[in-house]
This record gives sequence, structure tokens and C-alpha cells, in this order.
Amino acid sequence: MKNIIKKRVLKIVATIVFAGLGAQHAISQDLDLEKDELKFGFIKLTDCAPIVIAKEKGFFEDEGLQVEVIAQPNWKTLLDNVINGDLDGAHMLSGQPIAATIGFGTKAHIITAFTMDLNGNGITVANSIWDQMKENDPKLDTSKPKHPITADSLKPIVQEKLDNGEKLQMGMVFPVSTHNYELRYWLASAGIHPGMYTKNDIGGRTDAEVELSVTPPPMMPATLEAGNIQGYCVGEPWNQQAVAKNIGVPVTTNYDIWKNNPEKVFGVTKEWADENPNTHLAVIKALIRAGQWLDATKKKGIFRRGLDLVNREEAARILSQPNYVGADYEVIKNSMTGFFYFQKSDKREMPDFNVFYRYYCTYPWYSDGIWFLTQMRRWGQITEPKSNEWYHKTAKEVYRPDIYLKAAKMLLDEGVIDKNDIPWDTDGYKPPTSDFIDGIEYNGKKPLEYLKGHKIGHKN
Amino acid sequence: MKLKHKIYKLIDISGLQLFDPIARLLFKEEPKVQIKRITQFIIIPAVTFCLFLLMWQIMAPRHTTKSGEVPTPIRVVDAARGIWTFHKREKQKSEAFITTPEDSKKLIQSSKERFNEIETKLIPAQEELINKLKDEESIWKDKNINPKIVNFSKSESAIKEKEKLIEKELDELALSIGINEKDKKDLLLKKLKEFENNRSLWKADIAEGKGNVSILESKKYNPLEKAQRIKDRLEEEKQYLSVYIGILTKNRNSKVEDLNNKLTEYTTGYYDAESTKLMSTAKRLVRQQSRIQKTEESEYSAAKTLPYQTLRSLLCVFTGFILATIIAVPLGILCGLNKSFMCAFTPFIAIFKPVSPIVWLPIGLIVVGGFIPDPENNAFISIINSLPIFGSFEVNPAFLASAITVSLCSLWPTLVNTALGVSSIDSDHLNVARVLNLNFKERLKSVIIPSALPLIFAGLRISIGVGWMVLIAAELLASSEGIGKFVWDMFNNGSSDSFAQMFVVVFLVGGIGFMLDRIMIVLQRLVSFDESASSI
Repeated sequence: MKNIIKKRVLKIVATIVFAGLGAQHAISQDLDLEKDELKFGFIKLTDCAPIVIAKEKGFFEDEGLQVEVIAQPNWKTLLDNVINGDLDGAHMLSGQPIAATIGFGTKAHIITAFTMDLNGNGITVANSIWDQMKENDPKLDTSKPKHPITADSLKPIVQEKLDNGEKLQMGMVFPVSTHNYELRYWLASAGIHPGMYTKNDIGGRTDAEVELSVTPPPMMPATLEAGNIQGYCVGEPWNQQAVAKNIGVPVTTNYDIWKNNPEKVFGVTKEWADENPNTHLAVIKALIRAGQWLDATKKKGIFRRGLDLVNREEAARILSQPNYVGADYEVIKNSMTGFFYFQKSDKREMPDFNVFYRYYCTYPWYSDGIWFLTQMRRWGQITEPKSNEWYHKTAKEVYRPDIYLKAAKMLLDEGVIDKNDIPWDTDGYKPPTSDFIDGIEYNGKKPLEYLKGHKIGHKN
Repeated sequence: MKLKHKIYKLIDISGLQLFDPIARLLFKEEPKVQIKRITQFIIIPAVTFCLFLLMWQIMAPRHTTKSGEVPTPIRVVDAARGIWTFHKREKQKSEAFITTPEDSKKLIQSSKERFNEIETKLIPAQEELINKLKDEESIWKDKNINPKIVNFSKSESAIKEKEKLIEKELDELALSIGINEKDKKDLLLKKLKEFENNRSLWKADIAEGKGNVSILESKKYNPLEKAQRIKDRLEEEKQYLSVYIGILTKNRNSKVEDLNNKLTEYTTGYYDAESTKLMSTAKRLVRQQSRIQKTEESEYSAAKTLPYQTLRSLLCVFTGFILATIIAVPLGILCGLNKSFMCAFTPFIAIFKPVSPIVWLPIGLIVVGGFIPDPENNAFISIINSLPIFGSFEVNPAFLASAITVSLCSLWPTLVNTALGVSSIDSDHLNVARVLNLNFKERLKSVIIPSALPLIFAGLRISIGVGWMVLIAAELLASSEGIGKFVWDMFNNGSSDSFAQMFVVVFLVGGIGFMLDRIMIVLQRLVSFDESASSI
């Protein structure tokens, strides 16, 4: 007890000394800001953390920015508010800047110079579905089934429903969300058809064996319980909420579907970025610092393997404030501190459940954008086949590593980040990877070949 | 007039009927009757309300759903306190940003003391209590919950055993039947059908049992819950204090000081500079000066809290209401005066009156969005924001769309009542006007409006009631900063406080609606001359 008190007192002294030092640390890099009062929007999901932390830990203020962080009711309103200028920028789904730029949905040229996080989603199914999946695949019927769980054991259930003249219903958050594409990828990798988008069908239900519908994240546990949907794909804390309330079972996370996949980005309109280049740089600098703070690690010690994410508990405490994510601290804490409850009896370590800085997460990779474009084409949101060049050109219109690298260079010169944290010399394409649940290889430079490799969906 | 009568009149006008018997009793008028009226007007409602609270407090914990218990009145008060604390903290943060250095020092000192107190004394004490309660919880669970769960698993396995046995029996029966034994084959079929029926019944039973088990498993031990909530509050306070201390340390004054130090550096640099470096040092100097100016005017961007949102909601409802009145009263007067006008307008009134605000709102958003595509630079919005009250509430298109929705839904009662009021003017009054040869304007001013006023105000009273109800829905959907947005945000949080916070909003919205109604009653009674009693 005494030791703990001593450690705590030292920590307090250190914080206060550091805060004192901070007061002398001059406002960094004399950037001539065009606008210093900003409004950013976010949706109540734990991966809005970089924006929230940049505000609460004073990173925005260090850059001379006063930022108001405003909760948005849904993804559509968030996008509309960014487009009409009510918000300067927002926490966006990776697919939103791309879809807006190519004109699927509201058309506007939106760019991103910062990827906010990797991973962070889960697919949860209702208890009754989980019971049936266990019946179909007895290997799942243990307290700690082997992961990743594919949709193979779901296939008989889908078939049974089709035979009865019904379709399995699943929820996702937005037509161009990562959740939509991941859920479809997961279903398709087991041979279940999740439906196509056509010119006449913007709901994406054509030829579907499983019907996917848009549900706002907070309503997902309630709709799952009511039986309107039998499963959903969403970010945290809604999967852990389902476990905490005994409504459903998360069967897989998107880490298992595609290891270290890009999740959210920080999006602004191109006009805003062109009119406020220095402000944009200041914002990106603050966000990079926030990502670094969130992923700060410390080795666990000589006798324990693994890394301790030291700031995540404080982050969870901040996020549980009612004007941010607002869910109970206990619910947010799990996934943020590197644990995930797949069932009440099945708690696993997942230190990479949310990645905010490591693995070059924050760099806006062209290959990420191209993956989303291929999936949009695969499911028909892009109605005509496009050439390879089109994919590369579109990704370059949306993703702006030039702005990111400029901001990162400024931070490097200030000594805030390490040279090895940023991939300075990359051409914007991650190396080819087959870390997918079905093992198909994705090479960002060859989008059309990738499309051909899938069984379900458009192949060109 | 004697004082007594003045007081009676005041009470009558203010619509606070329930003070009437008290006043009369004080002036010793018919004491027995007054006491009876006091009982009726004051004591009976108060007792009923207390009974309601009591029943609520008792029955709430018995209704547990997976989303949590129905909150008791005490939890609701707790949630209200939490909302108020959050508001106070945001305000303190804004104030901390602009404190003077002497005040900063004092506040930092006291905050650090409180922080240490929480970290070293209060939280560990709470943690000890929680550990003790956890033990109590497992005892409680063993006594109340686990036996039922064990019972259920026992019955579940019993059913499964039974199923297996019957299956085995049927298999053996099937093997024992010969090819031509038709009767026995029929018997087998019958038994199989019976078994399938029973199986689905048992499956339903097991599913129901599982549901009960999950409700049991989610039951929480209340003392432990309470202790954990207290610990949570302490942790939140600790977090707030560290942010508060940070703001105090790096606040506006210290920033300006730093900038000023740099400014002196730049100034000497400029005056010491030679011609080639002159321009760059000059630019640097000027930029620093403008930066200092901007910083001196900067404010901390705190989150919008419920009191601010309530005021903004009120502003929005009044905007919509006044808009509705401006449209409805002239139109109603026209309709009342001229029967043809009335007939012309009847289809519109009939069709548009029942339309729900949730339908008008998207239309409002699209129309406003169409007229104001770029809110930042729009002239109309800037004009509104330069007005005294509107400016501090940051009017934006969502606000306008909500106000328009409120007016579209609340103009109908005023319209109909105005038309009724104007058309039912006593013909004697109109004859007098004709005898005096009054022209239209004079007739309007002296006869029509005054005699229609009571009904117009009755309409206005209904309108404001409808408008207030509509506003919350409109704000929720338009996400205009107000009570509606608060409700949606708190619902989206899905925290254990959310349910209780909804009840706080119920009482808040009801209370404000009550006050608005009262204000309209007072206005109505001021212009009425027929002593029509309004309900309490």
C-alpha cells in the first residue's frame, strides 16, 4: 500500500512538473493559422479517441487552436455538416471521403491526410444464432473456441431461413462503412451472398442470401434483442455492450478478417484544406501527437511478455464523459486496454484491438483507399467497371500523404516524434498482404487482379 | 380598492388559483370553506404526488430488463446532480482559462490538495469498501441467484436426457418392426410425430428458461452498484481536476505572457536587424502582434451543457411561435371576416393540420439548406447572429429548420381559434360599428381585434403547448443544439445513467411546458373580460 502511494505521489509530482514545463514550452513552430476556432464532429464510438484526446490533453491548444468537439447524431448528418461548412472536419468512416468524392451519396470532394485508427470493429450475433452455430459446428461449443471463426457455421442457418422463405437480417452502420465491407467480406468468404447494389437498388439487397440494413450503432443492441436483426457489425463499445447485457456473442473482430485494417480517417473538404493549409497542418500535428499518446507503451517487465498500453485507462476515463462516447467506463475499458470479451467466460488479450499509432497506422495509405474502391466495385456501388489507372487516380485525389508528411516533419524537427515512427520513403502503397480471413492476397498496385480473385461479387 | 381585493385580483390574474384559499383564509373569510378548498387544491395534489413517488420508488427495482432497471426517483435525482456537476465543471474550465495569475496560483493549490486527497485517501477507501461488498455480493448471489441457475441447468440436462432416451426407444422400436407390420409402422409414425411436437415445446421451455437465467445473471447487488458509482464519480473528479489544473497552468494569461516575451525578442531583433533581414524580421514582429491580439480574445471552447441547451431550445420555440403567430393571426382574421376566404382555406387547413413535425423537418432542412448553402458566409445568418440575444446562441440552419417546423405545426390552433373568434363577434358590436360609419381599419382596431382577443389567446396558449412538444422532436432530428440533441446524445451513450437522464429530461420538459402554459394563461386572463375560469 505504501509503495503504491509513493508511486502515485511521484506520478502526481511528475505530472505537475510536466505541466509546468509545458507552460514554458513555446507554442510550437510558428505556423500562421488562418483560423483558430474550429469545430470537429464525431460519432460516439471509441475510435474517435485521437480527436478527443487531442482536445483534452491540450495538443490542439499547443498548436494555438481552440477546438469544439461536437457529437453528431449519425454518419449522414456528420457528412452533411462537413460539406455545408458547419463543421471544419470530422471523424469519418474510411469509405466516406472516397464515396463522396466519386459521387456515391452526397457528392463533395473530401480529402483525408490522417488515418485515425486500425481495427476496432466486431461482428456480433444473437444468442439464438450462436447456439445454432454451435450445433452446426461442435468445435465452437467450448468456453474458448478457436479463432478466427468463419461464417461457415452460419451457412446452414442462412439456408434454413431461405427454405422458410425468409432471409437472415444483419445490421451495419452505413452503406460506405468499413463495417459494411467487412461484414460482406466475412459472409462472402464462406460462400454466403450478401447482396449487390445496382442502379435501381441502392439498398444492396439484389440476389442477397443475407439482408444487410443500416442501423445506428446505439440502437443495435436493442434491435438485436427485439429480433429485428440477427447480427451486426459495429465498432466499440457496442459489441462489449451486447456481452455485458447478455444479448449477443461477438464471433469475430475485423482484426481477424483483415489484420490491421484501416478504420476511421480524419476528413475535411478540399476547399477547406485549400483555404486553411496551415490550420490543417496544425490539426494533423495535434492528431499525430494524440495517436502517439494513445499508443504509448511500456514493456510489462522482465518476466511478463507483451507491452503495457499505459495511457489507455486514462483515455477510457476521458471517453466515458457524457459529452464524448459516454458509455460506462467499465465497458469502454476492456477493448481500449487490450482485452476483449467474446463471451462472459471468454476474455482474450487483444492488444491490437485498437491501434492508433503503431504499424504506421496514421499514414494515409493509397492502398487503403484502393481496397475500399475495390470493395465498392465488388458490391456494385460503383456501377461500371473501371480501369486500374482510375483506381490509382481516385485514391490520389482523396488521400493526401503530402500534407501528413509535412506535419510529421514539423513534429520531427520539434523532437516530439521518433524518426522510425513514420514511413518517410514509401510510395503510398503497403506491401502485398494475405492477412485476410480467407487468405486471398491483396496488392494495392493491382486492384483489378484483386477483384478477379474473389468468388462472389463483380469481378471487373 | 382595499388591499384585500387587490391581492385577490392579483391572484386571479396570475392564474395561481391555488393561493386563493390561503389568501382568503388569511383575511378571515369563511374559514371552513377555505380550509376545505385548501385541502382540495393543495393537500390532495401534494399527497397524490408523494404517493406516486413512493409507488415509483418501490415498484421500479422490480422491473428489470436487460437494459437495466427502471430508475427510482433517487437515481433520477442523482442523474440530475450529475448533469449539473458536468455543467459546473465546464463553466469552471472556461473561467480557469481567463483567470489572473494570482487567482490561478490559489486555485491550482486548492485543486492539487483535493486531487491528492482523492487519490491517496478517498479512492483507496472506496476500493476497500468495494472489495468487502464483492464478498457480500457472492454470498448474496449464492443465496438468491445461483440456486435458480443451477435448477435451470438441472432441468435442462434432464430434458436432454429424456430426449436421448426417447430417441433411443424409438430407434429400437423401428429396428424391431418387420416389413409388413403396417399397424406397428403406423404406431411408430404416431409416436415420432408426438416426439417432434414435444421436442419443440421443450425447446421453447429451454429458451424461456435461458431468458430467465440471463435476466438473473444481469441482476446486480445494489450496495455494490452504489459503491462502484461513488468510486466512478471520484475517478471522474480526479480526471477533471487534472484537466482543470492543466488549464490553469497553461491558461490565456500565461500564453499571452509567453507570446509577449517572444515579442520583445522579436522587437529587439527587428531594431537590430540590417536591411536584408529587415523585411523578414518585420513580418515576424507583425505576425506575433496579431497572434497576441487573437490570443487575448480567445475563449476556452467548453462543451455545451444542458442549461445552455435549454435556453437555446426556449429561443427556438419562441422564434417558431412568433413566426406562427405572425402568419396565423392575420390569416385567421381574414378567414373569420369573410366566409369565402374561410371556404377557400379549409382544404389547406384540413390537409396540413394533421401532418407530423417529423415529416416537416426534413422538408425544412432541405429548404433552409437550399437557401443557405454556405452558412459561414451567409448574410442572413450573420444578420441574425448580430442581434443581441440570437448572437450568443449561434443560430445556424438547423436552428432555423427547427423553428420553421415548430411554426408549421403550431400555427393551426391559432389560425382556427382566431377565425372562430372573429366570426363569432357579437352582431351588436358590428351594428354599432356600422352606425358610427367606421372604416375597415378602425373597425379592425376598435371592434374586431378586442372582441376576438380572448379566443386568439386561447389559440396561442394551445399553440405554444404544441410548439414545445414539436420542438424537442425537431431538435432531436435536426441535431440543433438543444434539449432534443441532449436526449439523443444521452441515449446514444448507452451508459447506466442514460435511463435516469431520460427521466430528468421528462421532468425538465414538463416543467418548462408548465411554465410556458402558465405565462400564456396570465396573458389570456389579462385580455379576457368574461372571467372565464381557467383550470388549475
